[in-house]
Amino acid sequence: MISSLEQLEEKVLSLKRKYRIAVAWAQDSNTIGAIGKAVNKGFIQALLIGRSSEIIKICYSEGIDEKSVTIIESDTESLASSEAVRLVKNGDADIVMKGLVGTDKFLKAVMDKENGLMLPNAVLSYVCAIEVPAYHKLLFITDPAVIPFPNLDQKVAMASYAIEMAQKFGIEKPKIALIGASEKMSRHFENSVDYSVMCKMADRGQIKNCIMDGPLDLFLACDKNSIGIKGVQTPVNGDADILLFPSLESCNPFYKGLMLFAHGELAGLIRGTEKPVIVMSRSESEKSKYYCIALSCLMA
Amino acid sequence: MVLKTLNDLNKLVEGGPRKKLVLAAAQDQHSLGAVIRAWKNNIIEPILIGDKEGIQNICALNNYDITGVRIIHEPDTEMSVEMAVRMVSSKQADILMKGKIGTSTLLKCVLNKEWGLRTGNLLSHFALFEVETYHKVIAVTDVAMNIAPNLKEKIAIVNNSVSCLNRLGYTMPKVAVLGAVEMVNENMEATLDAALLSKMNQRDQIKNCIIDGPLAFDNAISLESAQHKGIRSEVAGETDLLLMPDIEVGNVLYKSLVFFAKAKVASIILGAMVPIVLTSRSDSEQAKFDSILLAAAASR
Repeated sequence: MISSLEQLEEKVLSLKRKYRIAVAWAQDSNTIGAIGKAVNKGFIQALLIGRSSEIIKICYSEGIDEKSVTIIESDTESLASSEAVRLVKNGDADIVMKGLVGTDKFLKAVMDKENGLMLPNAVLSYVCAIEVPAYHKLLFITDPAVIPFPNLDQKVAMASYAIEMAQKFGIEKPKIALIGASEKMSRHFENSVDYSVMCKMADRGQIKNCIMDGPLDLFLACDKNSIGIKGVQTPVNGDADILLFPSLESCNPFYKGLMLFAHGELAGLIRGTEKPVIVMSRSESEKSKYYCIALSCLMA
Repeated sequence: MVLKTLNDLNKLVEGGPRKKLVLAAAQDQHSLGAVIRAWKNNIIEPILIGDKEGIQNICALNNYDITGVRIIHEPDTEMSVEMAVRMVSSKQADILMKGKIGTSTLLKCVLNKEWGLRTGNLLSHFALFEVETYHKVIAVTDVAMNIAPNLKEKIAIVNNSVSCLNRLGYTMPKVAVLGAVEMVNENMEATLDAALLSKMNQRDQIKNCIIDGPLAFDNAISLESAQHKGIRSEVAGETDLLLMPDIEVGNVLYKSLVFFAKAKVASIILGAMVPIVLTSRSDSEQAKFDSILLAAAASR
């Protein structure tokens, strides 16, 4: 079982494979720094797409031998993005990663109907594995980045993606908490309605391989003491592996709060695509970017 | 305790003080027959309100000995209903029964804001069936009163029925929320409501019972068929109460049980201050008698 982000790196190293990663609009020191580390560790072969002169400069300042990477010249953000996607589509790369390009332009190339990487009829969503010293294990969260207000179908897809990722980490039957402000059902909280439908779907095997409960507040999801205090019986029992949030705007500040105030580190990935797609905020640390690369290899 | 037959209701009535049943517009042969029989069996103490001469004629014609029965002369049927309802609301009677008068007239009086029997609860119909092919009696609601209950109304209907079953000695009745399938399906409203009711029950928002649903009819009443489908449910095969999605399903089920399965049935209206016996002309005399027995057993 992989129970920390460091172990994630070890796991990927143990696979003894080199994954080819295409980076769109790569002239970003943070990104190249993370890629360089993965290249030096030996599990990544990098295809850096963008302004080659700038890429070479950054490689030099990051102490990366430009000969250890392949550089592909491209003039615009959009062209670099579609080129990176094309490489993966053609089987010349295994993973695509966003560099300095804006997320919307990058995702446009990923979601292109003809040349993109979307699985047919799939929901595009985002799952993060977070390591935070205050919690006794890794915490998978969804969706901090893609779907603003998921409907029932989207929530079901989000849950399945998170379960799939947790299973890759060796958690056979992850405990998934559907997060709300309270554990009670209320017609004032529409999400509590979706949540109870999802729990019944899990009961009936319509959502598989998980122990699901919700609505649960964060305490009941992640803190055993609260279970006793509140007297709520829940199979998640303060020991959640996965937190599914009702909206992007609740999930995003949660993860940023953990990064900023609780010494969190993360590895996150877009789901719903044929091949792993790495999208990270430009302000993310180099360490988190590195873990994202390792995660994409695990999921490839 | 569990009732195997409708006859078992006698055990709940025996030994206790006889409940006072007031029959409104009592000049009705069908109702009088059942009331007199229940009186002779020490189940209730009747009070007959209506046209005294009419009542006496019917009794003479049918050889009903009503020596000692209290008769209140009120030839106007509407007035006799009002008088009956007022008797109940002023605690002079424990059960209200409809005689020769339309259901709507009776309910109008029951719902009167000043002297009616309102409790703030929804009125609902509760039927108890004895079927040879099931190992105990089974309650079904609502087959006659609420047409297409929404979630809030379904909660009220369940609460009415559960507190009645609690009074009949079921500490934790098992409630199956009926659907056409046991899976949650967004296109079938009944399955979504069923999931919500299950979750509200888990969260103790609906108390004193165990709810599972959606369950198809076969899964609800047969453990074997539930197991065949791989459904894990505390309720399947042991259902005490079946909640109908709407009146069409309920009414057809009711009538098929009676006509095809030769079921015995007792039914009352719940949600008012006291149980109301509201049988129809087409009910057998046995059904009317059993309904009075049920009302006496369910009466506080």
